[in-house]
Amino acid sequence: MTGPSFWGQAYEIGRKDMRVEGRSGEVLNITIPFGAVALLLIPLAIGIDRPLIASVGPGMFWVVTLLFGMLVTFRHSATETVANREMMVLLGMDPAAQFVGRVSASFLLLLVFEGVLAPLTIVLYNPDPVSGWPVLLVVLLLMAIGLALIGTLASGITSGLRSRNTLAPLLVAPLSLPLLVGASQTYEALSQESSILTPILLLVAVVLGLAVVGVLTARFLEEASR
Amino acid sequence: MNRHRILGLSALVVIAIGLYFGSQAPLDQLQGEYTRIMYVHVPSAWLAYLSFLVTLVASILWLTKRRLVFDRVAESSVSIGVFFTALALMTGMIWGYPVWGTFWDWGDARMMTTALMFFVYVGYLALRRSIPDPAMRATRSAVLGIVAFFLVPLSYLSVLIVRTLHQGITVARPDSPIDGEILLALLSNVGAFTVVYLTFMSLKTAIARGEEELEEQSAAVDATPAGAAITAPNLEKVRDV
Amino acid sequence: MPSSPLVQLNDVAVRYGRVPVLNSVELEVPAGEATGIVGPNGSGKSTLLRVLATLLRPTEGRVSVFGTEMGRETAFSIRRRIALIGHQPALYPQLTLRENLVFVSRLSGHSEERVDEMLDLVGLAGAKHRRAEQSSHGMQRRVEFARVILTKPDLLLLDEAHAGLDREAGQLVDAVVENVRSRGGAAVFVSHELDRMLPLVQSTYELVGGAVIPGGSR
Repeated sequence: MTGPSFWGQAYEIGRKDMRVEGRSGEVLNITIPFGAVALLLIPLAIGIDRPLIASVGPGMFWVVTLLFGMLVTFRHSATETVANREMMVLLGMDPAAQFVGRVSASFLLLLVFEGVLAPLTIVLYNPDPVSGWPVLLVVLLLMAIGLALIGTLASGITSGLRSRNTLAPLLVAPLSLPLLVGASQTYEALSQESSILTPILLLVAVVLGLAVVGVLTARFLEEASR
Repeated sequence: MNRHRILGLSALVVIAIGLYFGSQAPLDQLQGEYTRIMYVHVPSAWLAYLSFLVTLVASILWLTKRRLVFDRVAESSVSIGVFFTALALMTGMIWGYPVWGTFWDWGDARMMTTALMFFVYVGYLALRRSIPDPAMRATRSAVLGIVAFFLVPLSYLSVLIVRTLHQGITVARPDSPIDGEILLALLSNVGAFTVVYLTFMSLKTAIARGEEELEEQSAAVDATPAGAAITAPNLEKVRDV
Repeated sequence: MPSSPLVQLNDVAVRYGRVPVLNSVELEVPAGEATGIVGPNGSGKSTLLRVLATLLRPTEGRVSVFGTEMGRETAFSIRRRIALIGHQPALYPQLTLRENLVFVSRLSGHSEERVDEMLDLVGLAGAKHRRAEQSSHGMQRRVEFARVILTKPDLLLLDEAHAGLDREAGQLVDAVVENVRSRGGAAVFVSHELDRMLPLVQSTYELVGGAVIPGGSR
């Protein structure tokens, strides 16, 4: 009996991840509130200076998305046990399809994360409005895909290691630099009304590059996880 | 004379040549003697990039060819690359203090991105230490060696991407006409540092191979299978304790 | 005796880092038979089982499964014919027992309708909407055996299959093994207890000092 196609397998993995998240509610009940708390704490730490808070708002949003959003990709329910991984190998699962499925689920959950925290940032920080803000929706999208890719890769690299809880964030935080640079530079370019082409191209290039690396190395990481 | 000696001696010779040209090159009017830090700073940065490029290639080769020599090269090159990245960052800060008035200038995008590149590769070395099994360690670090390389071109091009108040590092600008003597000093030091890199690589990979052989030997001596290390519990004594 | 064995291990050695676990293992698993391997805790039984399952590439030696020698690439078509029931149940705790089986059936290309039939067969029709995390060890094991019946593997590998199971569930294990054998497949048990698997197996081996020695055929 042959199983489903590559995309069929990826869909099943993504569907399963979303269903598990629906039951455990880890992102909705833990990670998003955690990010919201961070957004509330920052102004308290830098002092009540309204113009300053307004100007750091967008930057804080990117940092919180990066540092707390990565937890979405490390969520407990997304990490497979050895038994489950072995079962999937024996079901003839393509590791690359598994990677695509997991990234897709994390991407959707990161969109929810951003969808809650972006309006919250606007309410709390009251940043100066920029013209051409719809571009930022594209940036949110690219940021979510990029972070899902980096987080899933880092999860694969550190899976099953004793130090994974500290090692994975150590890898993801600096690796997300291109995303942070792309996102913050787009915002800056918008507020200065200059060209957004370079930062957007950077984001697209990084996302494409990570996707290719992730799909091509999935098989190796799967083998090295047992 | 073995390979390491030849490389080591030639490294000393080329470093001496680099130092000579560096000391003879004309000084920048504003920076004075601090100009000369560039002859350490720029070659270090270039070698950091080169090291990580070698790691990228060796990582891909490990995944496709499965020969442990590529893993040794990848690891050795990261260790050396991390050293040169630190050297580039430190010389940058030492230069920055008198010239910019601060060790760490947030306006310099390349310093920021280089610092983060440094931490990714520190993470690479930390990852290696967390995995005891050689094949698993080689494969997982190879994937990281590929992903981490994303930061190398970003660090190099950061001056073009990030809007900064300062114009990054002016000496390496391709369009700026550089004084011939300065260029000579710079290039001779880049060459000298490359020989130093090759020396380090030759030593580091030899050490890594030696460590592997030692491990194999002790594995052969320690041929007791995992289960056989367990002996029967002393039931009599357990009852009386 | 069938002509060629389903699985053949030649001079297989496995080392974890510098710790040798298996040494020059020679083993043949004949089709249509159940093979039992006994050994004390930590003797490398689970490691051996994972080598048979193509999940672990041995440090040395040759592994041939269904007549194909395992190289660096293991074909999905071969792995689909193998099932492993390990120490830990391969289930998602947050999903119901039925959802877990539906996930397997969709990934292995079976229709969803058969899932209810399977759950009925293993006696879980009344509990199929319970989440795995709220189910007992025995119930979780039954789902795994439902998975085996559904996917019809030619090679069934069982790691301490009877441990912690009541009489009914234990009989289910026996019946599933009979099912695999009757289709011309093979089953391999590993356990530290010989007694429970003895009635089920045609040949036994002992795992001593990292090597497999025949314990006589019955």
